[in-house]
Amino acid sequence: MSKKRSPIKAALTVLIGILFLAGMVGCATTQGAGTAAKVSKIEPPQVKLVDVQLAHYWGWWYFSKKIKPLKGTPGNYGAPMDLSFVFEITNPNPFPVQLDGFRFTVSFDNFDVNTLNAYETQWIPAGKTNQLAVHGMFDARTTLLSLLVTGGFKLKAKHLNVWQQLEKWWKGIATFSFPITVHGGAATFHAGGKSVVVSFNGKFPK
Amino acid sequence: MKARNIFLKFGIAILVLGLIFCFPGMSFAKTIRVGGLMDMSGATSDVGKDYALGMAEAFQYINAHGGVNGKKIKYTYFDYGYRIPEALTKYTLLKRLHSIAIEGWGTGDTEALSPTITRDKIPYVSASYSAHLTNPKKTPYNLFFASDYSTNARACLTAWYDKIWPTKKDYGKRKPRFACCYMFASPYCSAPIKAIKDQAKLLGFEIGPDQNVSLFALDTKSQILALKKFKPDVVWHGNTVMSVAATLRDAYELNLGADWIINNWGFGENLPKLAGKAAEGAIGATPCAFFGQKSDHMDDVVASAKKYDPGVPLSKRTIRTVQAWGDAMILWEAMKRADKAGDLTGEGILKKGFETFRNFHIGLGASDVTYTATDHRPAPGCMIQQYKNGKFQRLEYVNLKKRWPNKWEKEWLGW
Repeated sequence: MSKKRSPIKAALTVLIGILFLAGMVGCATTQGAGTAAKVSKIEPPQVKLVDVQLAHYWGWWYFSKKIKPLKGTPGNYGAPMDLSFVFEITNPNPFPVQLDGFRFTVSFDNFDVNTLNAYETQWIPAGKTNQLAVHGMFDARTTLLSLLVTGGFKLKAKHLNVWQQLEKWWKGIATFSFPITVHGGAATFHAGGKSVVVSFNGKFPK
Repeated sequence: MKARNIFLKFGIAILVLGLIFCFPGMSFAKTIRVGGLMDMSGATSDVGKDYALGMAEAFQYINAHGGVNGKKIKYTYFDYGYRIPEALTKYTLLKRLHSIAIEGWGTGDTEALSPTITRDKIPYVSASYSAHLTNPKKTPYNLFFASDYSTNARACLTAWYDKIWPTKKDYGKRKPRFACCYMFASPYCSAPIKAIKDQAKLLGFEIGPDQNVSLFALDTKSQILALKKFKPDVVWHGNTVMSVAATLRDAYELNLGADWIINNWGFGENLPKLAGKAAEGAIGATPCAFFGQKSDHMDDVVASAKKYDPGVPLSKRTIRTVQAWGDAMILWEAMKRADKAGDLTGEGILKKGFETFRNFHIGLGASDVTYTATDHRPAPGCMIQQYKNGKFQRLEYVNLKKRWPNKWEKEWLGW
């Protein structure tokens, strides 16, 4: 004679199965936080600029708003240039850390021209190195204005012409013929309710 | 049966472990997103970069101090290079990312975005203090912590009239002469011009011709020579620091002999660094304290700059960081109030947050802040400071509301 299974017991079994899975998923999805909850201190990860790549390039040109375009609206337009700053981030801790906030200032020939930030988060496994590429779009018009308001007096003191300076950078970028520096960098890491901010600098070409 | 019991106990154990060890690692119950539009690369990056750093640090501080009643803020900000078309597209992105409020930047883009944010009901706290943004009938979702540009301009001219004009040899013998220098095409620079000329008439000034000075000017000799013909006693400069410094240098070199009163974005720690001796005696609107200047909560600002941007020397930090904190603090308070009222939405943040402020003390050397449903001017006046003997010193707090109550209530709102 086969025993008839109680519907209540069957429902309970299904429910327990669901709870079991939920428990497993809970652990898996909050793995970093859960692991890090056991630590008291985060060793600062190392941030290193390893490469600067010319991701997209249109050469050197500048049109003033006096020029009538074939299509669209006249304006002051300068050649764009997309640079990719590639960093290696090494986590020396025996637990994963979350990168949450990354910013730095870019200088050409020691003139500050842009400050970049990346808001996306990523987890870096214990003892491993991740790579992060942060893109910066520079265009000759915006850089001209930035250069004038932040470095105008410096240019004047060095008897440098702003247009010659821009042309030097836009043409020279193809061979990285001038120094690009990253400075004032700050990377924020979290793990287990703790945070650490790491400062970084870098130069390319080295 | 036995197997099922083991399965049951094991499942419960895993569940409990999952709940105890996994979820407590996440210290915030929920994350909310606040957006940011900053200029870190463009025409106003001389002041915009420090503001952007200060804003990011302020939100890191806020999260370290409980966020919005336990809710973490994901502050997501973009550089838009002071290009208005890009500000519009970045705004669309921030909206798509479900930002419940936005920290914005310039006058041109803030005014251009105003109808959109009103339609979307997204509170927009800007670094533009244009008085055009203070009338809630027209721009209900635009806010900022500081005295508006028109109040700054009126207060600067009044402080000069009260404190400096009586020390001049021609005082009492003739009308004082006044002129303006600013970039005509810039919405920021031109925003308070109508108001300051109105104030000049009110105080009995003779008004000379305006001079167009680009935000990017390194040489302003022709404008100074034009001013020399009018012989002004005092000149308003409405630009940012670099072109203000260029103008002051040329005026000093060409012996213009006028005093300078300057809007807040042209008056800061970098002015004496760039203008040298020519900055001596310059007077400016300071809606908050300079970086490190003694005031409530300044310690938090300085400590956060050190902690969250350790690679940027404190000697390079300026009043722009403090201004960013002012805007971050009011949004934080408004979100906390709206959340407590159970309505952390754009409309809730405005109605149950900002518009409940009555003399809310943010410290930082700023005026206490009040917003009502009919008036979004945060402050009734402005602290005016002077750069004298190598340091910034308080000259006078001008309270326009107290001094001209009828005009303040009935005439001056929104321009």
